[in-house]
Parts: sequence; structure tokens; C-alpha cells
Amino acid sequence: MPQERRFPLGLLIGIIAAIIMGLGGLLIIGLAENSRSQLPLLGRVPDFEFIAQDGSPFGLDDMKGRISIVDFIFTSCQTICPPMSAHMQDFYEQFEGTDKIQFISITVDPERDSLSVLRQYAQDLGVDDNRWKFLWQPVEKVVWLSEKGFMISARELPGGHSSRFVLVDPDGIIRGYYDGVEEQSMKILLGDIRKLAKRI
Amino acid sequence: MKNFKRFALISTIATYALIFIGGLVRVSGAGLGCPDWPKCFGRWFPPTNISQLPPDIDPATFNFTLAWIEYFNRLVGVSIGILILITTILAVKYYRKAPKILYPSIAALLLVAYQGWQGGQVVESELKPIFVSIHMVLALVIASILIYVTQQSYYLERPEADRQAIFPRGTHVWMGLLWLAGMVQVILGTQVREGLEILQEKFPLLAKAEFRDYIGPTNYIHAVLGIVLTLATIIAGYLILKKSRYLTNLVRDSVWGLIVLILAQLAVGLALVTAGLPSLMQLFHLWIASLYMGVLFVLFSAFRRRPGGDHAARA
Repeated sequence: MPQERRFPLGLLIGIIAAIIMGLGGLLIIGLAENSRSQLPLLGRVPDFEFIAQDGSPFGLDDMKGRISIVDFIFTSCQTICPPMSAHMQDFYEQFEGTDKIQFISITVDPERDSLSVLRQYAQDLGVDDNRWKFLWQPVEKVVWLSEKGFMISARELPGGHSSRFVLVDPDGIIRGYYDGVEEQSMKILLGDIRKLAKRI
Repeated sequence: MKNFKRFALISTIATYALIFIGGLVRVSGAGLGCPDWPKCFGRWFPPTNISQLPPDIDPATFNFTLAWIEYFNRLVGVSIGILILITTILAVKYYRKAPKILYPSIAALLLVAYQGWQGGQVVESELKPIFVSIHMVLALVIASILIYVTQQSYYLERPEADRQAIFPRGTHVWMGLLWLAGMVQVILGTQVREGLEILQEKFPLLAKAEFRDYIGPTNYIHAVLGIVLTLATIIAGYLILKKSRYLTNLVRDSVWGLIVLILAQLAVGLALVTAGLPSLMQLFHLWIASLYMGVLFVLFSAFRRRPGGDHAARA
């Protein structure tokens, strides 16, 4: 038998529920986005003056306005440097389309790694533009920049350098440390670069 | 046994709420908020600050908000598991002779247990797209089974309901076909999303709106099938309302609900494409799809009822 039509209470409840769920959803999505874009502020990179592989000076001012990924390596290293540089190379190739992200590798063996050696090393890695810098200074300045500047250990150089990648934001503030030989850590770095990239 | 119907109905509604929450986990990127399973950062209760993290976990991977979003999803999931367990116990106790209630209840319980375990696999696989899609499709199947159980318990109370109605022949077949097409469409939708995620991995700087251009044929098929499904639903709905008589309010409201849902789904789908895939729209797109499938299932069961027959429901 046909039933009597009644006030569509279910519809009303449904609409109210959908609105509440929509607002709740918006709130939680907003909270999640906010929480993810908050990388910690770990320290400020001090002013420094190094020399890039092409002979040009390179300092803190050259890091401003760009996201930088920094590591310490030496060209004759056969242990952790090859995977570190390979990961850096992956990022270098991945971010080919933008000069807002740069890569900085600092040699911890300045006696053997002359500027021409660094140039050759860069060339072997396929570096053909200004986005990946290889920096040089005498070893005491390198130790100072590593320990006091980027706050990573630099003992018994060159062999004892850190495997860490340092993520620096466009204001010259350190936002994260990542293990440059660890795949998972590189994924996290990629995510963090993405977060920072949204802000520039 | 009114309690049974109540439990079955609450389980169904709660399952739809959980599908929404699960979608929220997805679109807010909280899937790995807890990197382990079943615990969260090695604890039954997520850490509230970094000092509570186990020593082997890198503090940089901890995000308080994301951990709690994922944990809430698990908490609600467990609660629904308990609800379905109670529903099944009641079914075993009171409906041992009503296979239409007993067996689907047991199936729902087994599936929800599997779903919980499979959720762990989703986390362990670090959100491998196929695992995420299986999790979603399973949720839809569980919801459909719960709807079936609820509806059968309703019919048990009112054995004549939906038996007097006159409607075009084969209507239930059409509802079944729409349900299957809907499931294909859901799976295609998960493929579109998988494609998006792979692109996001590869090109992190690409704006969401630009992804659309790279997705390829699946996106196109999903859109075309969406329009076809919308038209088919509206035509089927129109014919049912026009050519049937003595429809119950349940059926009439469900038909209207189906039409409203498919139109809303089309609108949200178009908004997704034109507005650059906003997260909230993705969430509703998924959720409306699950509601649509559920309502189709209600109609499928209603149109299958024939005057006189179906002794099981009267057992």
C-alpha cells in the first residue's frame, strides 16, 4: 500500500550531516597541511666565504632566496661519497626545471681536491649549469663550517666526514638533516623539499 | 528482535562514517602518520611529544597531527569491528534459521577482521597504491553487506513490505548492473588517483591542476563512464518512479536519493577537474560514490522481493 508522505527528516539530517562533515573535513585537511609544512627551525647558517669550482666566491648570500641541499664529500672517497653524490645527482636531475633549488657539495680534502679536480668531478656527474656548486677552502675553514655552521661532525678528515645532507631554506635557516646514504631518508628529504618549495 | 536491527543499522551508518574518515586519512596524507601497525610509534596510545618516541625512531619523521588522524581512523575501525561483532553474535543467537541474516553477518565480521589486518598491510607497504585501493573496495563491500543485513532484518519485521509494489520487469537486474558499473567506476577512480600519486612522486613541483594533463586514458574513461552512469541512473530512476505503483517510502526515497547522489557526484567530479583537484572534493567524490553504491544495493534487494515467495525472510 502507498504510504503517506511525511516530512523528509532524513533528508534534512543528511544535509546537516554533510555540512558538518564537510567543515570537519576542511578543518582536518587544513590542520594536516599546516602540520606538514612546519619543518623545525634548527639553526642559522653563519656568514661564510668559500670558492666554487668555477673560481667564483660563494657565501651565505648565495644561499638566500633558494632552497639548498648541502653535503660534505671528497672526490677520491670510495666509501660513502659515491652513494651520497648519486643521491645528490638524482635530485639535481629531478629538479632540472627550476633554479630555486641548488646543491652544494663541500670538499673535506682541499689538498687533493683542487678547483680543477672539483670541476672534473662535477663534469663526471653531469653538472652543466650553476645549480650544483662544489666549494673549496683550506681544511680548518671546512671544519669550522661543518661543525659551527652546519652543526655536523668533521673529525679525522677527510675520511671522517658526515654522511648527512643538510636542508637549508631560502632564509639561510637549517630545516632538516638526512642520511645521504639511506633511501628512506632521501624520500623524506624529497617530501621536505616539496614543503619548502610551496612557500617560494 | 529490535536490538538486532538497531545494531545492524548503527554498524552500517558507522561504516559510512569510517569510509569518510578513511578518505580523510588519504587526502590529508596521514596514511603513514603511524609508521607501524597495530601500534603507533611502538605505543598503543600515540606519543604526544618527541620525548616519548622509541629511541630507534628518527624524531624528524614524527608528526603529531598526522599520527592522531591515522590513530583516530584505527580507533573508529576497531569500534566498528566491535559493533559488527555484536551484530553477528545477535544474528547467531536469534537468526540461526534466517540464512539471509546469519551468513551475511558472519561474512561482514570476517571481512572487517580481514580489513583491519589489511589496513596494517597498507601501512607496511608504505601506502602501495594497489593495497590502498583494495582497502577502499573492501570497505564498500562490507558496507553493502551491512546494508543487506539491515534491510533483511527490516523485512523480517514487515514481511509484506515491498511485496505489493508493481514495477517494470527486471528492475533489480538494472540495479545490479548499475552497482557493478559503479564498482568498475570506483576502481577506475582509484587508478586515476594512483596515477596522480606516481606523478606527484616524479614531479613534486608540478601544480595539482597540471597533473590532469599527464594522467592519460584512465582519466578520460573515468569521466566518460561517469557521464554514462549519470544518464543511466537518471533514466532508470525516472522509469521506476513513472511506471511503478505502490512503492514504499523506502524505495521512493532511495530512488530520489540515488538521483541526487549521482548528480552531486557528477558536479563534484566536474569541480575536481576544473578546480585543480582540491582535497575536500576528492574526499566527497569518494564518499558520495560509496553512498551511491549503498543505495543501489538497497534498491536491488527491494526489487528482488516478490509477492508470496522468499520463505527465508519469514523464518
